[in-house]
Amino acid sequence: MIYGDKKTGVIVTGATGRQGEYHIGLMNEYARQVGGRGVVAGVTPKKGGLSVHGVPVYNTVKEALREHDATTGVVFVPGIAAADSIMEAADAGLELVVAITEHVPVHDTMKAISYAQMQGCCVIGPNCPGLLSPGEVKMGIMPAGLFLRGNVGVISRSGTLTYEVVDELTRAGIGQSTVVGIGGDPVIGQTFADVLEQFAQDPETKAVVLIGEVGGNLEAEGARHTDVPLVAYIAGVSAPTDKRMGHAGAIVEGGESDARSKIARLKKMGIPVASRPSEIPGLIRDLFRNHC
Amino acid sequence: MKLLEYEAKQLFAEEGIRVPTGILVSKHEEILLHMDELAGKVVVKAQVDVGGRGKAGGVLMADHDTVIEKARQLFNTTIKGVPVTRVLIEERLDIRHEYYVSIAIDRAKKQPVILFAETGGMDIEETAQKEKNAVRSVSFCPLLPDVPNFLLRELCGDSPAEIQKTVNRLYHVFCHKDALLAEINPLVTTPDGVYAADAKLIIDDNSLARQGIAINRDLSEREREAEKHGFSFVELAGTIGVIGNGAGLTMSTLDLIEFYGGRAADFLDVGGGADTERVMHAVRLVASVPSVRVIVVNLLGGITRCDEVARGIIAAGVAIPVIVRIAGTNAEEGRKLLSEKGYEMLDTMDHVVKKAVEVAG
Repeated sequence: MIYGDKKTGVIVTGATGRQGEYHIGLMNEYARQVGGRGVVAGVTPKKGGLSVHGVPVYNTVKEALREHDATTGVVFVPGIAAADSIMEAADAGLELVVAITEHVPVHDTMKAISYAQMQGCCVIGPNCPGLLSPGEVKMGIMPAGLFLRGNVGVISRSGTLTYEVVDELTRAGIGQSTVVGIGGDPVIGQTFADVLEQFAQDPETKAVVLIGEVGGNLEAEGARHTDVPLVAYIAGVSAPTDKRMGHAGAIVEGGESDARSKIARLKKMGIPVASRPSEIPGLIRDLFRNHC
Repeated sequence: MKLLEYEAKQLFAEEGIRVPTGILVSKHEEILLHMDELAGKVVVKAQVDVGGRGKAGGVLMADHDTVIEKARQLFNTTIKGVPVTRVLIEERLDIRHEYYVSIAIDRAKKQPVILFAETGGMDIEETAQKEKNAVRSVSFCPLLPDVPNFLLRELCGDSPAEIQKTVNRLYHVFCHKDALLAEINPLVTTPDGVYAADAKLIIDDNSLARQGIAINRDLSEREREAEKHGFSFVELAGTIGVIGNGAGLTMSTLDLIEFYGGRAADFLDVGGGADTERVMHAVRLVASVPSVRVIVVNLLGGITRCDEVARGIIAAGVAIPVIVRIAGTNAEEGRKLLSEKGYEMLDTMDHVVKKAVEVAG
């Protein structure tokens, strides 16, 4: 597994909002099931002293860190405030910030990621479902019931499509080491390349599924520099040019940002590419057969 | 959202970039009111959001005597299929040299990137392809308030100092206006100094509210209606209506329709945590697209509860067949509700799409 385990203490920013409160409950339910620490503190400015599902709320991340041992932040604040929360978490010394928030202005994201990097803090997202390592830790909003512990890593720009693929894998008896949603925005913290670097050092992970979509060319860029055996799926072969397909980053803008170009590049590198999600388990089995 | 040339130029001017004196008209008769301002040679430019506008006949040369006729010509035509509703009449510049400058976001570097060429104009794309080094680029830390001078020197080479200053001013526009793209092509030198002869500006849709823009003009009326309900919606040309949750899953559903030989009529992502009312609006909206013969609902419930989804589909009560695949939270209850009402339900994405393609014919 990568980015955290049972021992990871999590601080949720935006703890008293509707989303934050709901998911603190779910994250800690998961933590109880697997015997992990889960969310140890929440942060909402001016709401210090409250508690959410028994988790104490503080005014700032720094205050929370004076009382609790934590390394990771999960951000649920609205889009316009997300960059500020990411920078606050980085400034307070957290090592990893997972930004779930959608609709973050891209200029804010660029600045927040740059700032976090200077503080030595790693950002996942924004506009992402977070990550889940079955049996270890859930940081974000993924529905835990679909997962099975195993040896396949998953990296995805999407939310529900990731769950679809995880569901396919689990039903085929193929377990997952860590599933990471990196986010659907044009600028995101950890990209395919960064997460693959983590997976390459993880003894549990034997293969990785890359789930990409139209827009940019980071899928192939990530795949180019890794020795980890890969299977890929790219959504959006039927997406029209110049139309934003739900995600801010999912837009064909010429160059090689369309799905067919991406698929061609990946295939050229010898990476098997599924033409639909239900083909992924079969391709993983073939991969294991060839590598073992 | 894309701004038109005259809007972009206004914003450029606010940051100190010089733009030609211009008059905006929405009828050629309006020009009569401005005849005494139009003494010399002018350029008559269709205000349409179309690439390659000049080559498509959207920019005409005129003078005091011909300006009304030329404007009338533009109002009576379409540029690449787009009708001309506004025309900008500008003083014609005494151009000595044309440059190209464009600022965008480099996704891989997560930084702004500035492209610059010493030969701008209508052929910039061909120039860029023919000569590998014709377009220079630099990217830098987004926390800096200005483009560092050493990068301006690297970018602009021997160009006049005023060109470098203009590039930095364009970077200010890019930052202050939350732009995804800020471009001047051509950026020109004249005996009176440097001017932005054309202007392009695309604003980040996630920043429209803080930029004071209430309506996203890039969306169709139906797409705007969808936005009000919190949907992402794109109209397409096929016969199979699509409703999914999550952009990736919905896109994947469209692809699967193509895989099985059908054509999707739309992309509709209901978003996370959709309740009965939102699903009802979604089904009705898709059913209102005239070409839709069948609707596929493909929802994987995480936060979304499938019983709520089922109630929404039933409440919509549309005449068009709705074929449903719901999985996840409360799926059993949702399926029970739908089967009682006689809706067709299938267990996987593949099955539901295959069936819809059959029904659509």
